Amino acid sequence: MRDRADLVIVGGGVIGLSLAYHLARMGFSDVVVLEQGYLCFGASGRNGGGVRQQWSTEENILLMKDAVRRYRRLSQECGYNIWFRQGGYLFLARDDASAAALEQNTRLQNRLGVPTRLISPADARRIVPALNVEGVRVCAYNKSDGVLFPFPVVWGMARIASDLGVEINTFTRVTAIDVRGRRIVKVVTDRGAIATQRVVNAAGAWSPQVARLAGVELPNKPYRHEILVSEPIKPFLDPLVSDLSNGTYFSQTMRGEICGGLSDPAEPSSMESGSSLRFLSRMSRSLMRLIPQAGALKVLRQWAGYYDETPDGQPILGRVDAVDGFIQLNGFGGHGFMMAPAIGQLAAEWILRKREHPIFSTCDLGRFARGEQRRETFSIG
Amino acid sequence: MAAARRLEPHPDTPFRYGPRVDFTFEGKPLWGFAGEPLALALLAGGVKVFGRSAKYHRPRSPMCLHAHCSSCLMRVNGRPNVRTCDTPCSAGQSVERQTGWPGAGFDLLRSIDVVYPEELRHHELFTSSAALSRLASPFVRKMSGAGELPSGPPPMALPAEHTRARVVVIGAGAAGLSAARRLARAGEKAIVFEAEALPGGRLLDGATWIEDDGGGAGWQKWKSLADPAGLSGIELCCRMPVVALYPGRPPTVVAAGEERVRVVQPQRIILCNGAYDLLPLFVGNDVPGVMTVRALDRMALGHGVVPAEPVVLCGDSDEVLRLGALLAERGVELAGVVTRRREGPQLEALQEKKIPIVFDREPARARGGRWLHELELASHRKAEPDRLLDCGLCAAESPPAPAYELGHHAGCRVFFSSSGGYRIAADSSGRTSRDDIFAAGHCAGAADTAAAMAAGEQAAGACLESLAQAG
Amino acid sequence: MPKTIVCRCEDVTEEDLKRAFESGFRDLESLRRFTGFGTGFCQGKSCLCHAARFLASVKGGDDMVSDPPRTRPPLRPTPFSAFAGAAPEAESAREEKP
Repeated sequence: MRDRADLVIVGGGVIGLSLAYHLARMGFSDVVVLEQGYLCFGASGRNGGGVRQQWSTEENILLMKDAVRRYRRLSQECGYNIWFRQGGYLFLARDDASAAALEQNTRLQNRLGVPTRLISPADARRIVPALNVEGVRVCAYNKSDGVLFPFPVVWGMARIASDLGVEINTFTRVTAIDVRGRRIVKVVTDRGAIATQRVVNAAGAWSPQVARLAGVELPNKPYRHEILVSEPIKPFLDPLVSDLSNGTYFSQTMRGEICGGLSDPAEPSSMESGSSLRFLSRMSRSLMRLIPQAGALKVLRQWAGYYDETPDGQPILGRVDAVDGFIQLNGFGGHGFMMAPAIGQLAAEWILRKREHPIFSTCDLGRFARGEQRRETFSIG
Repeated sequence: MAAARRLEPHPDTPFRYGPRVDFTFEGKPLWGFAGEPLALALLAGGVKVFGRSAKYHRPRSPMCLHAHCSSCLMRVNGRPNVRTCDTPCSAGQSVERQTGWPGAGFDLLRSIDVVYPEELRHHELFTSSAALSRLASPFVRKMSGAGELPSGPPPMALPAEHTRARVVVIGAGAAGLSAARRLARAGEKAIVFEAEALPGGRLLDGATWIEDDGGGAGWQKWKSLADPAGLSGIELCCRMPVVALYPGRPPTVVAAGEERVRVVQPQRIILCNGAYDLLPLFVGNDVPGVMTVRALDRMALGHGVVPAEPVVLCGDSDEVLRLGALLAERGVELAGVVTRRREGPQLEALQEKKIPIVFDREPARARGGRWLHELELASHRKAEPDRLLDCGLCAAESPPAPAYELGHHAGCRVFFSSSGGYRIAADSSGRTSRDDIFAAGHCAGAADTAAAMAAGEQAAGACLESLAQAG
Repeated sequence: MPKTIVCRCEDVTEEDLKRAFESGFRDLESLRRFTGFGTGFCQGKSCLCHAARFLASVKGGDDMVSDPPRTRPPLRPTPFSAFAGAAPEAESAREEKP
């Protein structure tokens, strides 16, 4: 392991690797990535691979438009097929409030060039014949949203970054961040220390723990989110379907499995990563309501991962007041994976002083103290 | 010609089934005995290729016959991916294959296996061009997946019964039945969940022999162990596999049957859920007609469905050698028994019957298009093959893989060894790292069925002690 | 077609395991994700032992593979209809930890 680096990235998930990948492609590879487990250990290896542009804020919509463009060519850039299938995202609203949200968001998305359409439940059934639309008021559908296979994204970015000179260390835990005054001096791991003055905290649910090592308090809270996968069957479902009444989402993978989860308002913040009967049961009920034939489909496996949540649903990006060179790239909730290529590019440009995108000022840690919280309302799972 | 033919049922077989019933296979009429495994009725009815594998579209046919692999899946009564080995034959069933194009019997997509004789790097497919990848995507999707969305009336949620219990025993094989009998003797109530239609596990194998006072075939032992008189106070639920064991105090056992579900929170659990029989690794070990030793035992001795062509047995255990002799007694032709054993009464019995024995060899390559027709043997599977046996079925033995998953999920420590796989770590009394969970039998690494019986009894004893201490 | 199939559900061969190991996937979880062994219908029952044995042999010992991949329910493929009624809504979210 290197004993010094210009930049150390804590967290070898898709966010940290996307940054390393984009930095390396810009010619900057004096970077060490530290991952506590195997690649795909954290949320990056546990998510359903959804990629959507249907958001409620301008900045997220534009970010995701960019991310979609980048995902379309990532397989060719990295040499691993990520199977990005743009089969669409179909949202279902059952009450006045969510119907109004869909209407409002759709108008905003259209204004920004995302071709989402409000459609009737009957039209939704034309897109997904197996769908039960009883009780659904209105739907929103964007055919350029889609799903991908997360693992090759992680492996591909890691491979290219590594080929270009970035050092990626798996099974390496950060145990201390040595700060003298306002400057970082080194990062200490269970396999040795790395002298550096710049550390990126891309540790997902572990970000608060990492930040504390540098004496910084983050407001992020981890939440367990559970997910399951069914036996593989022939394609019958093109879009990812989401029921806004309970945050259910599911899609069909390239292998034919139904993969999805739903929200649990009773789930407290924790680092619990086990699987529960409660989830399996609630998800089964929700899926059977939406796809009645699914009752006879078999569950293959359930698992869980963390959403790294912030008080306003927007990530924490950029500088912190108390420590120079300590850069935050965390708090992505349930949508870090889909944003990763765009965030990685922007963060790389920012770090190399090529361009400072406004989000590094508007989504910084200081926004909470300033009373300038963002508000992204359109989360699922 | 069919891969299998029917004999009269063995007079001592524990398996019973009903009258002849008719069903359809891909529109054609076939028949079976009500209650027998559908897979066997299909084999006896001339079906050889049951399906195709996911990537290379290699033909698939039953391998384990104990509901732990994916080699016998078909669409039954409008439901996809049904394990035909675990489905009782019944009148009017509609059975069809699911994979392959134009069909599983003759699948043009097998060409992938030919075009990529060594490997197909699926992660690197179509990475040269984004447009090509997008073009290919719908075809890749269609080729993946096995069955279609279920047809027929959408099912309702199964009724679920939630209860507490003193003790749950998972598995009613040799270990589970012994444990249950010990609990019954102590007047302790327990629920025993068993996946199969009959209790017994390896005691249902014709080739099992228990060397204790008297000594006897597994089937004899089965009669006494499964006798309801020794199980009073024990609720034995067959065809109710435990599908999940969630940690917690108390833990939660979920057993799912065809028509109902039991969710039980017991004070104590005795894990006796056995082990999965594997095939050894050799080239072509997935050719239809290559199966586990217990699969052949179940099929031929248990249900009287025997291979139509000569059989090769490969392995070193007493069970393999005994199976050879028993098959010969039933008139099954053996092309050979391949073993590294050098002596013993079982070997002598084979020699007396003039069954060809191949010493110091192991399977190196199985050959066959849609069904096995020959087996190459070598001194070691990577060495040059120097013997060839023409055969229509090969039963090969490999150390079984303990079913450690339930215990592991509940937090029990597991132990790995290359020879034994992952097993639940348990002491000689069946105590695991969880003070409320005990493990006995093959899931904890028992060497054979006799050992499993003894371990089951021990574990029940330790469980009773533990309950008494808790007050 | 000299393939030795380790995972029948996903057609993972011995060669696939070797190549994945050489490409840097050196623990069971990574090997599983990259090759696909254990991710199919039987969820590893027929192949985990073989894969673990392979890894132990190339890494120089059984103690190198002491932890199996994370076990997840259900033990066998089970219909959604079996689970739909298994946990009434009123139950609390957190299972108590042992």
